Amino acid sequence: MIFCLTQSVKLHGWLDNVLYFRSANLRCRFAAVVLFLILGVFSMLTVADAQNAPEASEKGKEVYEQSCAHCHGTEGRGDGAAAENLLPQPRDFTRGLYKIRSTESGELPTDQDLFDIITEGMPGSSMPGWETALSANERWEVVAYIKTFHSGFKEREAPPREISLEGKIPFSEESVEIGKGLYTELGCIECHGNVGRGDGTSAPTLTDAWNFQTWPANLTQGWTYRGGADTEDIFKRFIGGIAGSPMPAFEGDSFLHFGLTSEESKRLTELENMDEMTEADEEASNQFYEKMDEAVNVALTRAEGTELTAAEQRMYDDAMKIVYEKSWHLANYVKSLMPEERPEPAIGNNVLRSQYVQGGLPTIDDAAWETSEARYFPLVGQIIVEPRQFNPTIDAISVKSFYNDTEVVFLFTWDDRTYTTGDETDETTGKPLEDALAVQFPVKVPQGPTAPKPYFLGGGRLPVYLWHWKASAPEQVTELTAKGINAAEVQEVQADLQVKSTYTDGQYQLWVKRALKTEDKKDLQLESGVFVPIAFSAWDGSNGDIDTKRTITSWYTFVLEPVPSSRRFVYPPLIALLSFGLLIGLRAAVQRKNLEKLST
Amino acid sequence: MKTYLLASLAILLVCCAVGPTFAADSDAEVEALVFPDSYTASSVSNGGTINGVVKFEGDVPEMKMLEITKDQAVCGATEKYDEAVVVGEGNALKNTIVYLIDISQGKDFDKATKLEMDQQGCQFTPHVQIVPVGVRLTMLNSDKVNHNVHIFSSVNKPVNKQQTKNRRKMPLAAVKKAEGPVSVKCDIHGWMSAWIAYVPHPYFAVTNEKGEFTLEDVPAGTYKLGYWHEACGSNSEAPVSVTVEAGGTVTQDFALKLK
Ligand code: HEC
Ligand code: HEC
Repeated sequence: MIFCLTQSVKLHGWLDNVLYFRSANLRCRFAAVVLFLILGVFSMLTVADAQNAPEASEKGKEVYEQSCAHCHGTEGRGDGAAAENLLPQPRDFTRGLYKIRSTESGELPTDQDLFDIITEGMPGSSMPGWETALSANERWEVVAYIKTFHSGFKEREAPPREISLEGKIPFSEESVEIGKGLYTELGCIECHGNVGRGDGTSAPTLTDAWNFQTWPANLTQGWTYRGGADTEDIFKRFIGGIAGSPMPAFEGDSFLHFGLTSEESKRLTELENMDEMTEADEEASNQFYEKMDEAVNVALTRAEGTELTAAEQRMYDDAMKIVYEKSWHLANYVKSLMPEERPEPAIGNNVLRSQYVQGGLPTIDDAAWETSEARYFPLVGQIIVEPRQFNPTIDAISVKSFYNDTEVVFLFTWDDRTYTTGDETDETTGKPLEDALAVQFPVKVPQGPTAPKPYFLGGGRLPVYLWHWKASAPEQVTELTAKGINAAEVQEVQADLQVKSTYTDGQYQLWVKRALKTEDKKDLQLESGVFVPIAFSAWDGSNGDIDTKRTITSWYTFVLEPVPSSRRFVYPPLIALLSFGLLIGLRAAVQRKNLEKLST
Repeated sequence: MKTYLLASLAILLVCCAVGPTFAADSDAEVEALVFPDSYTASSVSNGGTINGVVKFEGDVPEMKMLEITKDQAVCGATEKYDEAVVVGEGNALKNTIVYLIDISQGKDFDKATKLEMDQQGCQFTPHVQIVPVGVRLTMLNSDKVNHNVHIFSSVNKPVNKQQTKNRRKMPLAAVKKAEGPVSVKCDIHGWMSAWIAYVPHPYFAVTNEKGEFTLEDVPAGTYKLGYWHEACGSNSEAPVSVTVEAGGTVTQDFALKLK
């Protein structure tokens, strides 16, 4: 029970953020409920003091120096002792640039925004959530304190303008369809790519306000969003923009034909596309332009802080009504790009099962793959052995598999924002930087939970059998044997592996087929019904991944599902426990390693 | 209690994790212009003129060719160069701001001039733009591609606004305070770079390709004359003193070196 509790406390906590573990599988229901109740009380308390933080006090400073300063720096410049390795860097509060706001572009956040982000933390970065580590009171105090780092908070004359969430358009297919058009029209595509995987043509060259490289969000992975992936969150993010990042604000007149009704807009588009205009057409389009200029003028007058007349206000409201409608459609479209929740990791009931088929196995683009549910393997940055990856860009790998009497085929799928094949080299090693994937199996399947585990990150005893694929040789997988993270050797005898791969819209697909049995003693031999450990490493060349600087999974399990059975295959609880244990083991290994470091 | 333990453990973890340091571009602090505490506009009659030429001193750095990474048809049609240092014939230094530091009274802005900055062939023109406080700058998009206008203001509100390919003119809200020069970027085309100075009085000039500048209608008196250049820095610590006589012209040249 205590174990469970710590797990769920951690769920929103420190380690999860630091190590990028946010796996819901560690949830222990009962504890979570208890925690939820406690937090519920907290949030009720906070409603009472919502909106405005108290005056900055000694207490706030104390909390800050104890909990925040080692990242954000004593003076709030984002230069604390721990900042060095982190990307994105801990925020420099002195410039007043805040990403997650409910306020319009150019405005500072509300106190509530700051309170919320401190409470929740920022997924995909090292910014932890403080929901459990600090009381609501302490969080309010620290909000007041961090505001003192930027004079803009004190100097602002009026409360910041908040983005109105009125008139939300519910999610529907039509709405998503309209939103999809806007996604292209507004140019989200430039950075976020055709289907939102953060692979737009501008993605590789983006830098933040502090000149650090930064990547556009992979919109298909809502759990990596800094500020939450509810439709409302998305809506606020693109309207207000993400200050300090390259992400622009898409407000008011950023939208096509601001100030025109949708009929007028349609008509103007027609007129603009005409080869020849009559005088009347010319007149009509000029009227439209004038109307748009007026609307823009009113919007600017408002932005400049001048009071609008009643007529101007009406014009503004009319124009904004249309913009807000479009914005909800766009938010619905972005929402449609992601699964409702982050997929569960492939443990317990979600163990990777290779399905038996009679006859030929599906090719890479076979529709048969659609019939099989992908299993999901979250990746984390490898930070135990030098060189390390503190800022991983690959989130997870999905796997499907089929087998027949003689062969097994896998389809590995993972998102990578750039297609990197080794044109650039790593500065320290001189080796080419390229995208790659390794799939690890033990050479011999361990028998039972007490058998020695295959090596993991250099600590184990048994060699592993590896498939190594590189983007520069897209139709080839090399077999390796490894006795440690840095001790891999190419096998002398290479099995006859069939390999195909594709890279489309920020996603790799790798298809590998091998015989169940090979002659080579160094290869893994496969048998139906036997649970086989499997683990992955992935390299994103454009993120500087090379050698041990990469993303990794812990050991999972896969099985060639015994055939053909109409009954659901039941997994021995032992296996479920084992893979759960290994997941915890990875955590423990990371912790141990760091503690060792500390004591030396 | 447990959470505190965890939190402190994690703090330790973060603190002791050592890894590579990131090399962000060394972002030397941009020097700022100096503005008078207050400025009163009135009509100036029989003012004087300050003019001169700004030259580059030292080995002229070769202009860096820009790497055009997207929208080749529009952006890569001609070769593009980094405009941080543009040196013309006779070492003339373009894009230097020359201005009066301590003027508190003088002419008003010329309200008739349209303030525009174009995005053309995926470069900003002009590279340095003076924008009076309270006046709207209109961003033009002559390219049929999407741009985002990212203005890194800190005294005024920062701006980052998409200007889509079909938006030819996008006026921006006027700012309230003097500031700058602030950097302007387009993140979609990462090489695009320009500067805007938001100024409280009209005695600012930007040198042309001949390195020339002219400040007209300056009320007679002695002033501190300042310069600012993106790569050569500024002289705000030790400005030049110039004395303008009514109706007269003084010439003050500058020779600037890389910072
Ligand atoms: C482990 C390092 C770390 C610690 C400790 C930490 N932060 Fe952060 N914090 C970050 C990072 C990194 C970011 C930037 C994330 C990003 O830009 O995506 C950040 C961002 C923020 C932001 C900006 C939110 C926004 O909308 O842009 C606030 C506010 C903040 N932190 C407050 C705090 C407070 C208060 C504490 C202490 C209670 C704290 N942080 C402790 C790493 C840390
Ligand atoms: C110039 C590049 C660029 C364009 C254009 C752009 N984005 Fe982004 N977007 C980014 C970057 C970079 C981030 C990551 C910001 C961060 O966390 O630092 C981001 C993040 C996001 C996020 C995640 C927010 C979060 O909480 O982490 C959403 C949602 C989003 N963008 C939606 C959009 C939509 C919708 C559009 C078009 C209307 C758009 N973006 C256009 C660069 C861009």
